[in-house]
Amino acid sequence: MLTSPAAAPAGRREGAEAVAHRARRRTIASATALTALLLVILASLALGVRDINPAEVWRALTAPVAGFVDHDVVLDQRLPRTIVGLAAGVALGAAGTLIQGVTRNPIADPGLLGLNSGASLAVVCAVWLFGITSPIGYVWFAFLGAAGAAAIVFSVGRGQPVRLALVGAAVTALITPLITLVLLRDQQAFNLYRFWSVGSLTGRGLDTVTALWPFIVVGVVLAAVLSHRLNMLALGDDVATALGQRVGTTRLFAAVAIVLLAGTATSLAGPIALVGLVVPHAARRLVGTDYRWIMGIGMLLGPVMLLSADVLGRLILPRAELEAGVVAALLGAPVLIAVARSKNVVGA
Amino acid sequence: MSTSTSTAVADLRTVRRRRQVLVVAGMILVVLVAGTGALLVGAAGLSPGQAIAGALGLGDKGDVFIIQKLRLPRIEAAVVVGAAFGLAGALFQATLRNPLASPDILGISSGASLGAVIGLLALGLSGVALSGLAFAGAGIIALAIWLLAWRKGLHSIRFVLVGVGFAYLCSSLLAWAMARSQEHEAAAVLTWTVGSVSDIRGEQLALVAAGTLVLSAAVAVVARLQGPLSLGDDNARALGVHVDAARIGTLLLAVALVALATSAAGPIAFVALVAPAIARRLVNDGGAALTASTATGAALTLVADVVGQHALLGVAAPVGIVTGLVGAPYLLWLLATTEKRSR
Repeated sequence: MLTSPAAAPAGRREGAEAVAHRARRRTIASATALTALLLVILASLALGVRDINPAEVWRALTAPVAGFVDHDVVLDQRLPRTIVGLAAGVALGAAGTLIQGVTRNPIADPGLLGLNSGASLAVVCAVWLFGITSPIGYVWFAFLGAAGAAAIVFSVGRGQPVRLALVGAAVTALITPLITLVLLRDQQAFNLYRFWSVGSLTGRGLDTVTALWPFIVVGVVLAAVLSHRLNMLALGDDVATALGQRVGTTRLFAAVAIVLLAGTATSLAGPIALVGLVVPHAARRLVGTDYRWIMGIGMLLGPVMLLSADVLGRLILPRAELEAGVVAALLGAPVLIAVARSKNVVGA
Repeated sequence: MSTSTSTAVADLRTVRRRRQVLVVAGMILVVLVAGTGALLVGAAGLSPGQAIAGALGLGDKGDVFIIQKLRLPRIEAAVVVGAAFGLAGALFQATLRNPLASPDILGISSGASLGAVIGLLALGLSGVALSGLAFAGAGIIALAIWLLAWRKGLHSIRFVLVGVGFAYLCSSLLAWAMARSQEHEAAAVLTWTVGSVSDIRGEQLALVAAGTLVLSAAVAVVARLQGPLSLGDDNARALGVHVDAARIGTLLLAVALVALATSAAGPIAFVALVAPAIARRLVNDGGAALTASTATGAALTLVADVVGQHALLGVAAPVGIVTGLVGAPYLLWLLATTEKRSR
């Protein structure tokens, strides 16, 4: 370095500066995302109809007093929904990033791909045919339904990334009348569906998380391992193949991970729209185009968005609550529209 | 030579015209057959004699009520609404030159549902007032999609995606409304998200029919531009057509037709997508087949309603379920095959 001519190191120094800049940016992004997550967890425990100050929240977690209402609210109501939100949020963030990476389509998300409608159909069928009404019973159906819808969407939309959202819409359009048919037949299914379809962090307790967390772990590990391959896939199938990647295998494993993650999230919280769409975009803004970082930040931002939606939903209306799914859609739809308007999506 | 060419062209024109007339006549025949079936079959089985007497206001009071107040309005509603959807779909597809363009995919329908549900739950409206709000909902969402998707012209994929965004917004609000409402209200919300022709009668039916007629007449005026427009923007311009103005005018008419039909019946899925496709395939002259699409829409909706009422899993299913089950596979097929063609 010291002995080299003047011109060359200037370029190298710029490169080094860029690397340092990127590293700084990533550190800042990670710190921001982590702080946001901690803040939103605290808010989820402390805010609601009854405001509980952080010190009391801490005492409720460390040394609960039985019968003290504040502590009961934190432990019995807010802690479970916060944990559900964390688990579902991580899953949605990772699933959304995977879907967008593997399809090279910025408009992709478990909901847009019809996975949610597949899960919903399976759930109402479970109620109608087998009389299953407990969350722990129908989560498995939600899973199967999501997988079935994913299989249809991926096989029809193969090779046409931009079309994938359309195929998802078509599959949703095919499944919706079937759901409605079941709902018209079966009042019990209808009543369950009304509360399931809105997407909420309450209603399915901690026992579903205890039953399903292994799926999230497997899904998250798969997503983390695959994120490096997504970087190559971003260069196109041909380049990825030339770089020695088995594109088909990557897609297959990604599909498995997507179904595991999105299926679990839907089983936990119902069909939540657009979290999986928005989060990767936000992460990309923060850390650039490297999917390993988008994935990591996305897994942090998923729960940030879902829990923020939940907390906002508790505070927006004076006496009623807006479910997390509704608020997430209200927050996410403008982002979807903005992305659709941006030049590089439709190429015109 | 030139005379023989012109007679050949004239012959071709006659053949095409004859084909169009044939298709329209066939669809009218389908409407008549299905309509007769719908008049005769039902919970109260009537003989043809009783049905005719009932339609003329003679005979048993109960029969008259069933025919004049229940079955005939439903048939008329299916025909009118179906015709409006069919025509609107043909206009959308011809103007955007995309077989995928239809109000179901463009998100306009969900705006109508949302407007109707707000009127139903928050304001307690019914009948014409409720339809008015649904019409407003469709119009507002259509306008919003339009403004946001317009960027130096309409790009159909962007149009569709912005529509999908609005559809998500509306459907999550609908889900919320359904979760918050009473059991019987929730059932009404559900019907409004599917589309049904069972409750359109009297004043409302007359209004929708009149509106559809007026709009169709306006379409007939604008339709003369469809020929030049189908040649591409530049050629149409060379022929002296104001391309953008013509396109916007046509699309506005199509949106108005959809909003009108949806405001009465709810979003009957895919009639606007499928009817023009069938009509074009049957007429097969490379044109927009507006008249044939209108007739096909009417026939399709009526047949779907009859099937839904009597032949589906033992539930009286709203017409939108049947059209959805028919239309969605067609859309999937369309998506799967256009992929192959574009390669």
